[in-house]
Amino acid sequence: MRKSIKRYELVAAALRSNIVSGRLETGLVLLEGPIAGLMKTSRAPVQAALRILEEEKLIHRFDGRGYLVGRAGTSAAPVRHDIGKLGLRIPNEIDAALQNRGLWEVVYEEVESAVAACLIFGEFRIIESELGDYYGVSRTVVRDVLGRLHERGIIAKTSSSHWIVGPLTAESVRERFQVRRLLEPEALRLAGDRIDLEKIAQSLERERTRNPAKQGAADWMRLERDLMEFCIFRAPNQHLVELIRHNQMPLAAASRALTRLGLPEDEIAVSEYLMLFELIAARAIDAAAIYLSNHLTALAEKNLARLKIVAVIGEAQVGVPYLTLRESD
Amino acid sequence: MGRNSRRQPSPSIHRQRTLRVLGTDISLLEAVRFKAISDLGFNIEFEVLDFPNCQRKAALNPEAYDVYDQCFHNLAIVWFWGALQPIDTAWLSNWSKVSALTKSGGVGKYASRGFGDAPMHKLYVQPDHSLGPEETRHIAMLPTVHNFDSFGYDTRVFNTDGNERESWAMLFDPRAQGKLALVDEPAIGLFDVALAAEAIGVLRFENIGNMSPAEIGALFKFLRDKRKEGFVLRCWRTGEQAAKLFRDGDVVIQSMWSPAYNELGSATAVVKEAVPAEGYRAWHGGLSIARHVTGPRLRMACEYMDWWLSGWAGAVMARRGYYMSVPSTVMDYLSAAEWSYWYDGQEASEDLTGVDNETIVVRRGARRSGGSYLERARRIALWNTVMDEHNYAARAWTRFVSSVNGKLR
Repeated sequence: MRKSIKRYELVAAALRSNIVSGRLETGLVLLEGPIAGLMKTSRAPVQAALRILEEEKLIHRFDGRGYLVGRAGTSAAPVRHDIGKLGLRIPNEIDAALQNRGLWEVVYEEVESAVAACLIFGEFRIIESELGDYYGVSRTVVRDVLGRLHERGIIAKTSSSHWIVGPLTAESVRERFQVRRLLEPEALRLAGDRIDLEKIAQSLERERTRNPAKQGAADWMRLERDLMEFCIFRAPNQHLVELIRHNQMPLAAASRALTRLGLPEDEIAVSEYLMLFELIAARAIDAAAIYLSNHLTALAEKNLARLKIVAVIGEAQVGVPYLTLRESD
Repeated sequence: MGRNSRRQPSPSIHRQRTLRVLGTDISLLEAVRFKAISDLGFNIEFEVLDFPNCQRKAALNPEAYDVYDQCFHNLAIVWFWGALQPIDTAWLSNWSKVSALTKSGGVGKYASRGFGDAPMHKLYVQPDHSLGPEETRHIAMLPTVHNFDSFGYDTRVFNTDGNERESWAMLFDPRAQGKLALVDEPAIGLFDVALAAEAIGVLRFENIGNMSPAEIGALFKFLRDKRKEGFVLRCWRTGEQAAKLFRDGDVVIQSMWSPAYNELGSATAVVKEAVPAEGYRAWHGGLSIARHVTGPRLRMACEYMDWWLSGWAGAVMARRGYYMSVPSTVMDYLSAAEWSYWYDGQEASEDLTGVDNETIVVRRGARRSGGSYLERARRIALWNTVMDEHNYAARAWTRFVSSVNGKLR
């Protein structure tokens, strides 16, 4: 699980090659923040990388904030440019490791999946320091990750400032589905002409021509994603779209976790999405909105049924040291 | 015939004709198995587990059995794991005789339906493959044995004047301190505690059959407090364990299952089955078929299920205090004295024996607690239920039980 990539080395390598090639000119001011932004990482590895380059005498401190490119004693005046606009060359392998996804995103996905997997087992506390140690990341990254989980409604903070997760109750599932029924059909109506009909037609075509022997069964989660991306999130009301997105987040995370535990998938759901797509493709948006509302009612019941059956899975399979069960005794 | 068939002997006829039944000791008795084998002409194997383990195996390992003999309430778990298949009622000749209790939820128009999940809500397979009360041709479980449970208490400790009202509140009466045991199954024992807490008046549930997380939290706080006061001595999983607790004098009051009253030995005279003012906690058993069963084995499964309703097995169950979903056929296999005691709630006109046809379990002149079948069936407070919050409640229950029984290890 633990990441062995030393991110500060990747950052150092990327900066080094651009200093050597002259893309980063002598006297250029290097600041942690913009570099971290460019490299999509936290500040900690950038700090470490800059210290390495200083030791290598490729950069030096000066009496302002940050570092200057070049050896100490060179008399060049500080040059200030937006590093993002200098067109830095970042070698492919470094780019692949670093550029594509930020560090916090990599950690985020693992934490989100661990958290989603545990919340069906009860109430857990997240220990920040353990989390940082486990992934080998700074407190800043830990806070970014937890902040994002908090913002997405997946974790909460107690009055004593402890991060807690779960338990996922039927009550909260029912309430979130109620919100879905209130918002999503309306968002679909509002989206109207903005719906990406071409993409919906493609999804329909993909499922109509599916060969289960070769391609396996249809994935209802993918169909749901298509419905969100191409239809509902096209509603011309960003606030509404954000509400819908946030409301769904813990449901989707828990659903993925339950599937990973081996719970059976809903085979009926696929045909319901296809019916919905047919209506949308025919531009029968009002009918589609009503159908969606009924579909969500049925889906809520299925989710509640699914949540009950997880009870036969005995002890929590948590597997990460930063999540500890909160016992009420 | 392939080459291998010579080296590897083909399964014997005997083996091909074996039906594997997974269930609990509520109904899977050796006497029943022997009689079914001789009546049906094929071999039958029973695998007997306690409630939680039986349910877990049924859900996660459906290949390991052909027929599942358990309670309706745990269909909420096992059916939705996709472990079972719909049963075509057209294959069951006794289906039409099954009583109204499971088909319409009560024994009469004005009989109490009770809170929680009555079997009818899990009986019929709906078009979307979920379970519901709307009649369809296919069912998820064939209703068989059932009962209306309460608790047993030591008459030397409680109700010594014979006039005291019987109530679930007695479970947490000061006289029960340190001498109370509960059945360890979250969809059962939890409700004994809930009925008691409500009867005492310390808690009130909006719907006792489907509690909210806050209500479950309050219930467990109540239970933990009571444990700290030293109330709960033990949590048991089988009727045999419950009977032993009374025989050994370890408890004075506890959850009870009907056959355990037949096994009390010298404690029989002092232990009474309560008729709680609030009503009974009802349950209903039945038979389901594993998803994988097809062809000849499917026919065997259906024959076995029909056989259960044909009377002989129902008579054995009656001697354990259980009722059958088709009482009319049971009558043919019980003596008049047995029928009038077990089903009609009349005084026993003679000594009655138990399942072994030897041991006397009812003395002449005794009267079944709660009266006749209809009297008892009209007084259902709630059904054993897998609530919406079952996952949450069951985990809290497991922690509670290990805090009680953990001291023993």
